[in-house]
Amino acid sequence: MNLRKSLRRKIVQVAFNTQSSYSHIGSCLSCIDILIEIYFHQMKKNDQFILSKGHASLALYVILNYQKKISDDMLNTYLKENTLLGIHPTSNMPKHIPLATGSLGHGLSFSAGLAMGYKMKYKKNAQNVYCMMSDGECNEGAVWEAALFSARHKLDNIIAIIDKNRIQAFDYIHSALGDAASSEKWRSFGFDVTECDGHDLKDLNIALSKAKKSHKDKPHLIIANTVRGKGINSIENDIKSNYVVIDEKLLNESLIDIEKI
Amino acid sequence: MRKPFAENFIKLAVRDKKIIFLTGDLGFNAFEQLRETINTRFINAGVAEHNMASVAAGFAQAGYKPWIYSIAPFVTIKILEELRNDICIHNRNVKIVGLGGGFDYGLAGPTHHILQDVSLMLSLPNMTIIAPGFVDDIAPVIKQADKLISPVYIRLTKGQETNFKVPIFKPIRKLIDGKKKTVVVFGSIIIETLQAILKNKRMRDDFDVWLVCQFPINIPPELIRSIRNTGNLIIVEEHQKSGSLGSALKDTVIDNKISLKSFHHLCVTGYKSNKYGSRQFHLKENQLDSDSIYLTLKKD
Repeated sequence: MNLRKSLRRKIVQVAFNTQSSYSHIGSCLSCIDILIEIYFHQMKKNDQFILSKGHASLALYVILNYQKKISDDMLNTYLKENTLLGIHPTSNMPKHIPLATGSLGHGLSFSAGLAMGYKMKYKKNAQNVYCMMSDGECNEGAVWEAALFSARHKLDNIIAIIDKNRIQAFDYIHSALGDAASSEKWRSFGFDVTECDGHDLKDLNIALSKAKKSHKDKPHLIIANTVRGKGINSIENDIKSNYVVIDEKLLNESLIDIEKI
Repeated sequence: MRKPFAENFIKLAVRDKKIIFLTGDLGFNAFEQLRETINTRFINAGVAEHNMASVAAGFAQAGYKPWIYSIAPFVTIKILEELRNDICIHNRNVKIVGLGGGFDYGLAGPTHHILQDVSLMLSLPNMTIIAPGFVDDIAPVIKQADKLISPVYIRLTKGQETNFKVPIFKPIRKLIDGKKKTVVVFGSIIIETLQAILKNKRMRDDFDVWLVCQFPINIPPELIRSIRNTGNLIIVEEHQKSGSLGSALKDTVIDNKISLKSFHHLCVTGYKSNKYGSRQFHLKENQLDSDSIYLTLKKD
């Protein structure tokens, strides 16, 4: 099965069912390939994943659904009254989603505490903590506090990933505060940085595998270059991709487009 | 109370290896021994309090018992969102120690005072607030905070000596028996209140004096009876008017349909002169020094 296609289909189908403009489809489609690589090829038992860019929750929900940690019935309640699956993940599934996110800039700090705790407890056998941020999220000052802390404490069991789709809520990143997700900035903060194509599973695999093997004593960052809305031609690289309602017409177009990726 | 805190906290941290102490670059001349004693479990998280709070949440998730420490405004109002989202919503076992509640930091100015911390912290889910009244409360307060497997905010203030025989720490305790007026005090401004009451020996027997050191609280029936019987209620707190002891007691009066003959709420009303001064200077400006409290107590 081609997960890149099937999970994209799932995302647009679930979003179509809600008829909501809050699914952040663009961000979900920019990070879904990264999630596939992390969840199905990189994470080992007891590794943790923190979705710091909580607005892409639907991408995480379909991954957990594929793993049968979220049932089909439960996924069908997404954004409906009385659901456990909201626009941003909360604290109601602590086993699978350890941190309620949505307000940007919290995930890397939380991951640093978790990673340091694991290192204290399990020494060299400490598990990895994967933390996915967005490039817009790197506007937040707390991200840089967390970066300093992670480097100072040599948290090499942190694998941070930036879904670099170059668009934030109301602007392209260069029109807001500039490129806060640049290799130079993160290297200067003490991270081992690798860039890759965030839609190429092979490239992601090489980058993530290499990161885990190299530069011990440094936290790792993968800058994954992505396209917001990847897979739906009419919304790709467009700010509106996070605000569209998937109506029947867009659903049909999407399903055709997705077959071609 | 930071030195007594450090001395007592060492005992807990030595005994329990799950304790992690994170400081926001504070602790000179107080925490050196703690740092040497618990070694890697003592972390100077730098002047980066937002990160410190979320790191503590991560430590709690990994099974540790983190305590974070800084000047009170820097671990309350500055980082309220981290406390809410990463710690309180998840009901994580993280302790927050804020040094210098109220006007304690005197000449350091309003940026270093905190006059709304109880109100802010009480608005967070699962949060308990503990404010020691006396230096002797420190050891039991640390014990009490450690016992709770949930977020706790400790409002540490400067320890002041008193000749008053302090009864053992309780969230609410009665300090003096009296018949004419009920006086309820929050935290360490009990020292100024006792100074005021003890100024006049004949007055002492008039006051039924209670000290509240913890929120949320269940007001005990004995205190409700006292308010009902005296019909005169005086509240004293080094905190802004809303969201703390005053609000809790006003709710109690209404819920219990108590009609009062007199009511005084001595609380912080602001920076009147907009000038700097010691804690005593600011207390005086707010009629919270012992002389001003005395004048209120004497009123009919």
